[in-house]
Amino acid sequence: MSDRAGAGALDLAQRALAAAGGRDALATVTRERSTMLRFARTRPTQATAVDDLTVEVAALRAGHVGRAATNRVDRGALEDCARAAVLAAETAAARAGAGHFPGFPAPAASRGHGGHDPSTAQLDPAAGSAALAAAFDVAERDGVEAGGIWTAAEGETAIASSTGAELSDRVTDAFMKVIATAPGGRTGYAAQTTVAAGAIEPAALAERAVAKALVAGEPATAEPGEHTLVMEPHAVLELLSILGYTAFDGLAHAEGRGALSGRLGTRIVSPAINLSDSPRFHATLPRAFDAEGTPKAPLPLIQDGVAHRVVHDTRSAAVAGAGTASTGHALVAGGQASGPSPTNMVLIGGGARDEHELCAPVERGIYVTRLWYANVVRPADTLFTAVTRDGTFLIENGEITRPLDDVRIADTALGILSRVEALGARSVLTSDGELYGRRFATGAVCPPLRAHGVRVSSSAG
Amino acid sequence: MRDLLRDLMDTASTRVDYADARHVRLRQETVAMRNGELDELDTHEEEGFGVRVQVGGGWAFAAAAGSDRAAAEEALKRALAIAQAQPQAGAPALAPEPPAIGSYASPADVDPFSVPPEDKLALLAEADAAMRAEPRVTVALAHAQSRVEHKLFASTEGALCEQRLTECGGGVEATAVGAAGTQERSYPASHSGGIAQAGWEHTLALDLAGHAPRVAEEAAALLDAPPCPEGPTTLVLGGEQLGLQIHESVGHAVELDRILGYEASYAGTSWVPADGLGSLRYGSEAMSVTADATLPGALGSFGWDDEGVPAQSIPIVREGELRGFLSSRESAAEAGLERSGGCARGESFARQPIVRMTNVSLDPGDGGSLEELLAGVDHGVYIDNNRSWSIDSRRLNFQFGGQAAWEIVDGRLGRLLRDPVYAGVTPAFWASLDSVCSAGEWRLTSLTDCGKGEPGQVAHVSHGSAPARFRDVLVGSA
Repeated sequence: MSDRAGAGALDLAQRALAAAGGRDALATVTRERSTMLRFARTRPTQATAVDDLTVEVAALRAGHVGRAATNRVDRGALEDCARAAVLAAETAAARAGAGHFPGFPAPAASRGHGGHDPSTAQLDPAAGSAALAAAFDVAERDGVEAGGIWTAAEGETAIASSTGAELSDRVTDAFMKVIATAPGGRTGYAAQTTVAAGAIEPAALAERAVAKALVAGEPATAEPGEHTLVMEPHAVLELLSILGYTAFDGLAHAEGRGALSGRLGTRIVSPAINLSDSPRFHATLPRAFDAEGTPKAPLPLIQDGVAHRVVHDTRSAAVAGAGTASTGHALVAGGQASGPSPTNMVLIGGGARDEHELCAPVERGIYVTRLWYANVVRPADTLFTAVTRDGTFLIENGEITRPLDDVRIADTALGILSRVEALGARSVLTSDGELYGRRFATGAVCPPLRAHGVRVSSSAG
Repeated sequence: MRDLLRDLMDTASTRVDYADARHVRLRQETVAMRNGELDELDTHEEEGFGVRVQVGGGWAFAAAAGSDRAAAEEALKRALAIAQAQPQAGAPALAPEPPAIGSYASPADVDPFSVPPEDKLALLAEADAAMRAEPRVTVALAHAQSRVEHKLFASTEGALCEQRLTECGGGVEATAVGAAGTQERSYPASHSGGIAQAGWEHTLALDLAGHAPRVAEEAAALLDAPPCPEGPTTLVLGGEQLGLQIHESVGHAVELDRILGYEASYAGTSWVPADGLGSLRYGSEAMSVTADATLPGALGSFGWDDEGVPAQSIPIVREGELRGFLSSRESAAEAGLERSGGCARGESFARQPIVRMTNVSLDPGDGGSLEELLAGVDHGVYIDNNRSWSIDSRRLNFQFGGQAAWEIVDGRLGRLLRDPVYAGVTPAFWASLDSVCSAGEWRLTSLTDCGKGEPGQVAHVSHGSAPARFRDVLVGSA
């Protein structure tokens, strides 16, 4: 974390901090180098290479934080950026009186991690091309069409602050997904997220996706009502993501809007649920510090079904008061408007060997590969709705018997986790691969699970 | 910069089948007051080159920050390298298009970046304070956004065009918390408020402070309101909720890249078949939809799209029958269309242009005013602003939730109802449309959070509509 590239980003952050006058300010440099190859109908359709960075200056005046960002790095641009941030904070201080942001964190040592793979950082397009070719071979062999992406990136973050922080961190991430479409239109999905692009297994992903698309039989239709679901890790990820911003957001919690407001220390889900934010857990996408330079550290969120903690940045901790401190979950220096969020959730697995074993006791149920367009309806209750996609099957007498038309689920994330009957033993790093804006790859480590009484509102077929 | 891009395309032309390049300079600002304190005063500036090349059937796109010749040449170099590393594929054709030449600027009276930040904060502070006068409002938020984008486009076909697009707007949101839960109301809409291609004058015209007390009062009133009753009933949609209904169940469904399968890996496909033009019944005869990139003030308007295709107005649905698609040059050629619909847009210099909605709007009908439309309802529900949305990957099965609903009884709006949701299947839902208000009720609503593509891109778009009446819709309470 201290090679020439890292030092370059830190030097730039220090220059931006100096441009802000060196007091009551924090400067961040985030750089992205990425390659993404996209494919559809078993041929490459897009190839995107990005090399860009963002310099952001956050200035603090009388408890208000003003921010400005630029992707220009010349001296004049840094001065303009710093001036805009300071002006914003000073204007707010003059107009709104004293704010409550207590100050940027004092420097603290962060631990190293294994989240950077030098080979991945090469961003060799030939590696991606070979991955696509491997997936195409499987698809063509079985007479299906393949779509998806292969992508790899190196990200670099450096922070310099007036409190003395001088930090830099480099990470890599890689992701591939394959959606196979059978001649009749049935689809199957498989995806893999890793720190090292070399660990991605394109042919294996394609095999799994193709196998789902080719499950034989006339699609059945599920009736509205309560069903037992076996959910693959990709579907479980959606539940955890929903909890990330409805339950564990410390700002919403402090304002009484959160799903755990008034419920910390009480049982909220099945005792089988143990969930933490664990940035150094095996197979996660680690980062050394958050957007304010606070070191990342493990934080228990739910233990044995009991709500334990919510996550904080400096701002939400100040709102919570009573000695609350940042837990290292700032997404933006000074606090993101929507609040802090966990970025490395780990759901501990259970005893079931795999998804087949989870299906075994189910007389009639639904097997779900992934959820789509999951959106919260009532945040304080974690009520959401979503449709299943790319691999929904009927479970009969303990086995997957035939395809099932996709279904719409309308239930609460906490409710589903309270009805968990069993968890798979094998947890995997799972990501949705949605990479908007400056690339900030995150994922959750989660197992498959089985839950009963999940509310299906309609068939979406 | 014009010479630089022209030179770059001259260089590229000897090595590619086709290439285009954009230099984009963006400046945007978000200002927000929350509970009496500054929530955001963020400015963001960026500029860079995006270069797209087609070599031997392979497409590649590379982006590099900066504005000098070295950055442009680096982007071209990397695009060529990636294109050459791609598995070989058949060369996709591009629908023919005369080279775009000229310049365009969206209308804007007052440059938002000429307005002092203290004036912006004062405007928002007044609205924020007005909401906090309601004691049950826990979170009051007043926000404003400003954005100016300058784009220069060139291609190896000789295109060279320049445009400047200015967006402004804002909104207010009140969150009330009570024993029964949390309720929100927004003005003019829940998705980033009301944004238009206009200058700061648009933000002022929203009169955020004037609307703030009503918004706060409604959020508090929702805490005590009865839940929306369940069952099939007449549903009248207006404002943002109707705009989002059009966006999700019509706009996305007629994107030709989805229909052809090129978004299967992310946003999804479509229930609309590529051969459905002129034969597919999308809805009732009261339904006519137009995609118009020439609408003044709308976020999906421009001089040219990001392939240099001029802005067009395209009939999508006429009296319930499918008539058009949203297309790019590549998708139009593949579908056998004579020319692109001019719908290719990239979020920034760092994103490849893909098919994005222009302003997809429900044409006004002959239903008269909202009062006249409601007069035809014995019992039903009216919903305006959106709260939740979900639709499947083929754009068929949807569920939407509103921030609030009003009961309609004997042709008039009655009680406030909380947690309304409704569900449907796209063609059946649009077939249940029996009347649309007349042109006097037609308004634009904006969306600035439309996600699509990989890497992800967020598009800004507007939808025009007048309140519309749907019969026998399944409505309920979340």
